[in-house]
Amino acid sequence: MSQRTERRGIHVDQSDLLCKKGCGYYGNAAWQGLCSKCWREEYQRVRQKQIQDDWALAEKLQREEEAAYASSHGVQTQSHAQSAAPHPGHASLGPFSKFEEKKTNEKTRKVTTVKKFFSPSSRTAPKKETQEGKTPSPSISRHASFDTDQVSKDFVDFLKNLQKPGREIHKQCRAFIVNMSSKKDLSADELSECVQDFYQSMADRLMSHFKGSSDSVEQVMDQVEKYIMTRLYKSVFCPETTDDEKKDLATQNRIRALHWVTIQMLCVSMDEEIPEVSENVVKAITDIIEMDSKKVPRDKLGCITRCSKHIFSAIRITKNEPASADDFLPALIYIVLKANPPRLQSNIQYITRFCNPSRLMTGEDGYYFTNLCCAAAFIEKLDAQSLNLSPEEFERYMSGQASPRLNSSEGDWPDAGLAHGVPAANPVLAQVNRNLELLSSLSSKQERLMEAAQSLQADLLSWPETVKREVNDILEKYPLEILSCTVSAIDANNMDNDNLPPPLTPQVFAG
Amino acid sequence: NISFHGGESPKGTLRVKMVLLGSSGVGKSSLALRFGKDEFRSTTPTVGCAYLTRVVHLSDVTLRFEIWDTAGQEKYHSVTPLYYRGAHAALLVYDISKRETFIRAQVWLKELEKQYTPGSTVMWLVGNKGDLAQDRQVSVQEGQALANDRDLSFTETSALAGDQVSELLIYKKAVLGLIESPDLTKETFGNKGPKFKDGPHIYH
Repeated sequence: MSQRTERRGIHVDQSDLLCKKGCGYYGNAAWQGLCSKCWREEYQRVRQKQIQDDWALAEKLQREEEAAYASSHGVQTQSHAQSAAPHPGHASLGPFSKFEEKKTNEKTRKVTTVKKFFSPSSRTAPKKETQEGKTPSPSISRHASFDTDQVSKDFVDFLKNLQKPGREIHKQCRAFIVNMSSKKDLSADELSECVQDFYQSMADRLMSHFKGSSDSVEQVMDQVEKYIMTRLYKSVFCPETTDDEKKDLATQNRIRALHWVTIQMLCVSMDEEIPEVSENVVKAITDIIEMDSKKVPRDKLGCITRCSKHIFSAIRITKNEPASADDFLPALIYIVLKANPPRLQSNIQYITRFCNPSRLMTGEDGYYFTNLCCAAAFIEKLDAQSLNLSPEEFERYMSGQASPRLNSSEGDWPDAGLAHGVPAANPVLAQVNRNLELLSSLSSKQERLMEAAQSLQADLLSWPETVKREVNDILEKYPLEILSCTVSAIDANNMDNDNLPPPLTPQVFAG
Repeated sequence: NISFHGGESPKGTLRVKMVLLGSSGVGKSSLALRFGKDEFRSTTPTVGCAYLTRVVHLSDVTLRFEIWDTAGQEKYHSVTPLYYRGAHAALLVYDISKRETFIRAQVWLKELEKQYTPGSTVMWLVGNKGDLAQDRQVSVQEGQALANDRDLSFTETSALAGDQVSELLIYKKAVLGLIESPDLTKETFGNKGPKFKDGPHIYH
């Protein structure tokens, strides 16, 4: 009884806290009363056993299955079953090869889901994949729908300014989107046709409403395009009815295979050694990659235009004169090769199909888009001649047997090491060297700082000592003398009070 | 006598897409720069001179020239058709001191003629660097003969001398040619231009 009350209290016996295995360390309830070390061992043992059991079960099932297969397929396959059965050592091959098969299955599935990988929007993905963490997290999909809502809201706000025709436009756009959602089986070209027809009829109506002021029409049409394409994006970007995705993968692999192409081979007049130029190159690459994240064709065009502007700046800084098309196209090709923009073909097709055609044929955006199409086409057909190489050289580089970078800088490769400040032919190597220099200068700075800190510490430690010593010195030099102090009392009878007037004496009045 | 949407607006702006074709080094970009220079300002435009615009005001219409420069290197020849699709005017530029550029211009001319029915696009043959007369390899007569043969307009111009007169001449002619061109009026905003029937890969 008394023991129980003790247990109910907070008092715990020391032995209860220790590892159940008795190793002397403390245990933990989460590890079933074992200490961390013993728990790990125990866990491993159980796991191993589980794996073995599973394996044994798999083998057993496999054997049963084979037996059943053999018996159901009569005499012809019996020899097969027999040849498998007498070699128990090979039995493990069964499940393993199955496992291999599963692996390849998974691989092919991965390839087909590359699209989903890149897709910023949420597609209805199989549940299994969500668990594997391959699809964008739910927060992203929420974000996407939030974007769509925002676009709708902006659209409505914009149309409010137009009053009655605004309401009409909104009604038509919504009807069109509903109409399009029922046409999912159409081919990409037919979808494009529908959207273009809608643009056309809308523009015609607006033309008559605004009495031919093309600026206002353009403004409204931009908003209409933004609203419609944000809504339709999911179903019409890289649709399954086309081979856009296959082309994307082909282009991506092609660009990867061309990783060895240097800026010199393309005769690009950009000198990446100049920091300002390399900054612009990086920005251009970022912009062209960003294109894939936009939904509205015009926004995608905007990314291409920004990218192009950065290229122009880079060339201008290098050459000190405005860039012409002769400089620009090779530079853009170089940027595309370096960036390997995701889903390049899909994006080009999407813009071509769903952007207002007048934007592609004319205007600045159209010009840069045309250049991007040229760059993509050129990369597709690029051969030895277009890089001023012999066909043999081209083949060797393509197959990976040789690397132009290694060849060109072979002479100074060993010299480009750490100790020398000589700029290497390879810009990457030069960058590495610069970084190493920076690191070594930083480490020497760090050492100096540490030294200073240590001396400061030493100073601080010795300071009380010095102060103490000084105090002692002074104390020794001026020993403390306690002078005997004469206590003076006013009423005492001393000799010095002669000058004082005589004390008052009480006067007695006769009364 | 050109009709716009609605027909009666005098304020309409026509977009004119003008493509510059020519081997690299014939002075396409300097030609473009002089074209692109605004009539009232003489500052050099932005960072690049690959895409330039120039607005020309006429009595009843405003023309907005968009000048598309193309990469002239021979290796980009196969992708050039992408540039001149939907163009209203094309300038074929060659260097009078380099015969091979004149031959290339003829190659482009053949390509262009494959794409357009005569008369729908205004085409110009421009012999550039007129001041290098002592190194001349292509005579004025040769250029003129080719132009006559193919029904083109022909001009010789010089980047160094800044021969404005000949450019203005080109402008005037271009504008007059365009006004006569029936295709142009269909190319304003919202109307369907030539469709990209098979995507951008038309050069296979």
